[in-house]
Amino acid sequence: MSRRAVSGLLLLPGMALLAFGFLYPFGITLFAPPAADDPDVLGKLGSMLGDGYVLEVAARTVRVAALTTAICLLLGFPVAYLISRAPARRQGLLLALAVFPLLLSTVVRTFSWLVILGRNGLISSLLVDLGLADGGTQLLYTEFALVAGLTQLFTPIMILTSYSSLSHVDAKLEEAARGLGASSGRAFRRVVLPLALPGVLVGATLVFAGAVTAFTTPLLLGGTRNRTLATLLYDYANVKLDWGAASAVALIMTALVLAASVVSGRLSKVGAV
Amino acid sequence: MRGRPVLTALSALAMVFLLGPILLVVAIAFSSGDTVEFPPPGLSGRWFGKALSYQPFHAALGTSLLVAAGATVLALLVGIPAALAIQRRRFRGRKAVEALFLSPAIVPELVLGFALFQQLMVTLRITALGALLIGHTVLLLPYAVRVTGASLAMADPALEEAGRGLGAGPLRTFLHITLPVMTPGIVSAAVLSFLTSFNNVPLSLLLNGPGVSSLPVEMLHYVEFSFDPVVAAVSTLLLAATVLVAVVTERLVGFNKVFSK
Repeated sequence: MSRRAVSGLLLLPGMALLAFGFLYPFGITLFAPPAADDPDVLGKLGSMLGDGYVLEVAARTVRVAALTTAICLLLGFPVAYLISRAPARRQGLLLALAVFPLLLSTVVRTFSWLVILGRNGLISSLLVDLGLADGGTQLLYTEFALVAGLTQLFTPIMILTSYSSLSHVDAKLEEAARGLGASSGRAFRRVVLPLALPGVLVGATLVFAGAVTAFTTPLLLGGTRNRTLATLLYDYANVKLDWGAASAVALIMTALVLAASVVSGRLSKVGAV
Repeated sequence: MRGRPVLTALSALAMVFLLGPILLVVAIAFSSGDTVEFPPPGLSGRWFGKALSYQPFHAALGTSLLVAAGATVLALLVGIPAALAIQRRRFRGRKAVEALFLSPAIVPELVLGFALFQQLMVTLRITALGALLIGHTVLLLPYAVRVTGASLAMADPALEEAGRGLGAGPLRTFLHITLPVMTPGIVSAAVLSFLTSFNNVPLSLLLNGPGVSSLPVEMLHYVEFSFDPVVAAVSTLLLAATVLVAVVTERLVGFNKVFSK
């Protein structure tokens, strides 16, 4: 058998699966849905963008995802930095503890926020006990709830990607900077941060894309008043059965995620120079 | 950690924020109260009893286990040969092929679920179980290719050349050299794939049929309509099972390897 035939044979099952289970359904649904009464996704997209509601939802989705990414960065990067500078034996355990939540279902991880943020929840009763509020404070179904839930969901990803890029930054470089008279803050800013930046950007992209497409958390914590593109898509596809509109929302969501990965690809190239 | 008060404080805050809510769920699962409240009025195991005897969860657990195991095996069967071709063979368009195999990971899962629902279930009339298996396999394929590929990338190809140089055929070389080298990667990929599929909501939510629904989807529906500690109890059981899987995996191949890509 020729070498090319062997390569082809190894790749064939995967290619077939991707063609049938991914490229074909994805392409048809996004660009040429078979719904006879409503054949044109781009036309549908145009009229939906015209009415403003979809734009409002898209703006909320981007706003919530951007805020989530910023807070994940703020919380995740210090953890990753401290883990990467901990004694080798303790690093594994600390990292396992930090990223363990990724192995749990989003339903499990989101459920607790219903308990914390609800009208009879932890924060609400705490406020009453402190005399700061006299009734139930409803924090659920707000953008605040969305950001809180999504941040908890995605901080482990930020820790993981930051850690893997930080662990490649030699601690000796930082010591050298300090030895040459830089304060530890300055050594961190001028030496560690620039070297770790490309990996951190990858993490930020993953978090942003994850937050834009997250579904369970917006459904449970955002409710119907604070829809995101994902819950809007589900509503069109499964409740209103307006598949043209669902395809249009799917197109917007996919475009956002691709745009984020292109921008971050550019940025990380700039950062690497 | 001396001399870095801001970093240490932010890290402590992050860990409380990450793990606090999960511990809260565990505490609520052991509540003796009738509603979800914290701190619980007393301790009891009654919500575990109720969770274990709730019929819709049984059927859903069966579906979830079947789909997760099936999709993991399929993704590995298809993904390992692809990883071998991408890592060990030189052919034109190799980078493009690799990108193609990783592309399902970039696409929003809900969009993939909607596309599969429309084209496979509505148009081609494939059953919900079939569509779930295909969808989850596509979802897991990038993990399988990347994790097993990473274990190949770390191994020295000279070992395989030496095997062939000593007269072993391609199959023998694969079975005695390549496969053992890949084993930690395969175990990691299998564990990650299984858990990813088992926990998935967006794909499973759109691809369901009569009596075919996954456990996370049933839990989601339960939470949407009633708010008692039953879901906390199920969550705690899943948490315990996941810890067990993580510890066993740690013993087999090392926890950090599972996460390092």
